[in-house]
Amino acid sequence: GKITCFKHILSPAYKHDQNDFPTSFVRSSEEKLHLLKNITVKANAGALTNFEVLDLLNSRGASKDTTRVIASETVSRSEYKVYDYLMETAASTQTRESVTKFSDKCKDFKLAKAEILNIINLRPSSDVELTPILEKPDEREIDIEGILALVQELLPPLPTVEAQKENEQEETENDEQS
Amino acid sequence: MFCLSELEDTVRVPPSDLNLPLEVAIKKALQKLFLDKVLSIGLCVSIYGIKSIEGGFVLPGDGAATYKVVFRIVVFRPFVGEVIAAKFKESDSNGLRLTLGFFEDVYVPAPLIPTPNRCEPDPYNRNQMRWVWKYGDDEFIIDDSCQIKFRVENISYPPVPTERAEDAKPFAPMVVTGTIDDDGLGPVSWWEACAPISDAED
Repeated sequence: GKITCFKHILSPAYKHDQNDFPTSFVRSSEEKLHLLKNITVKANAGALTNFEVLDLLNSRGASKDTTRVIASETVSRSEYKVYDYLMETAASTQTRESVTKFSDKCKDFKLAKAEILNIINLRPSSDVELTPILEKPDEREIDIEGILALVQELLPPLPTVEAQKENEQEETENDEQS
Repeated sequence: MFCLSELEDTVRVPPSDLNLPLEVAIKKALQKLFLDKVLSIGLCVSIYGIKSIEGGFVLPGDGAATYKVVFRIVVFRPFVGEVIAAKFKESDSNGLRLTLGFFEDVYVPAPLIPTPNRCEPDPYNRNQMRWVWKYGDDEFIIDDSCQIKFRVENISYPPVPTERAEDAKPFAPMVVTGTIDDDGLGPVSWWEACAPISDAED
């Protein structure tokens, strides 16, 4: 099928020094080694939120086929593992509009791109969940209350356990946060 | 925790796939080469898209066609300082091991577990050790009852060992070291008592 292109929500955030280096491959789950010739890395195109990766897998049909047999043409088993992991995180209830709007509004709070990414991925709902994400919050005079209020306002609540058990998508907008 | 990376590589499409549309055949070859494998930039999770395909030459003595492809992949590469929710996998006297389902080599070494703590043989599982955090008068057990949040301290790519003992653990080409020694980290049940959007108790 056609591969559609996604507009990035976050522009490249991290400096990468890696260009043009030889790489060796190793299977992550087995012991076989594949040593490969030089593979040129042209650019690191930037960080993706969990939501964008989940959206990508959904666009390939990961959510539609519960038996996971028909969609296996486009979604491999290891990609399903990523899908399963992401469905238990905040990304499973987020929408493109809410994430884009949130990251726009975050500019008022003087946060680093890495911190915005972390907040979108984790959807903290209390002070104690937000502080480990921020770097030296006391020295920077960060408006913690303001950020938490913005999260509450713009980002959908985390998926509840009942919603996961039903295995439905996009129905958790109205659920109470667990 | 995911990044997009653009790579260029020479891809060999085996003769059995030459009846497929070109993009499909190349994507299949790319998936076989890269999916679920660790590169120096991280663990490749998905092929995002193909940007350009060149070539298609058939080298002498080979039935397959070779293409030069520029494509983008999604890699799992957490950055230092990122907070990630994971599940408990196992623990021993060196520390904890957590898993993300698609990536199972997250280790929290003993020094990064909140002190004071102690390690005791697990009463429920004879082969394992269990870590317990003592805070004030309460004792908090680290087990698989809920998600565990950790912060990435370091990512390392150990070199491939040339010789190993027969019963050694499978080689992990990418190891993420995490800490749970901070507010809000560790099992989420430890922090559920905190009221949302108000001053946290300590």
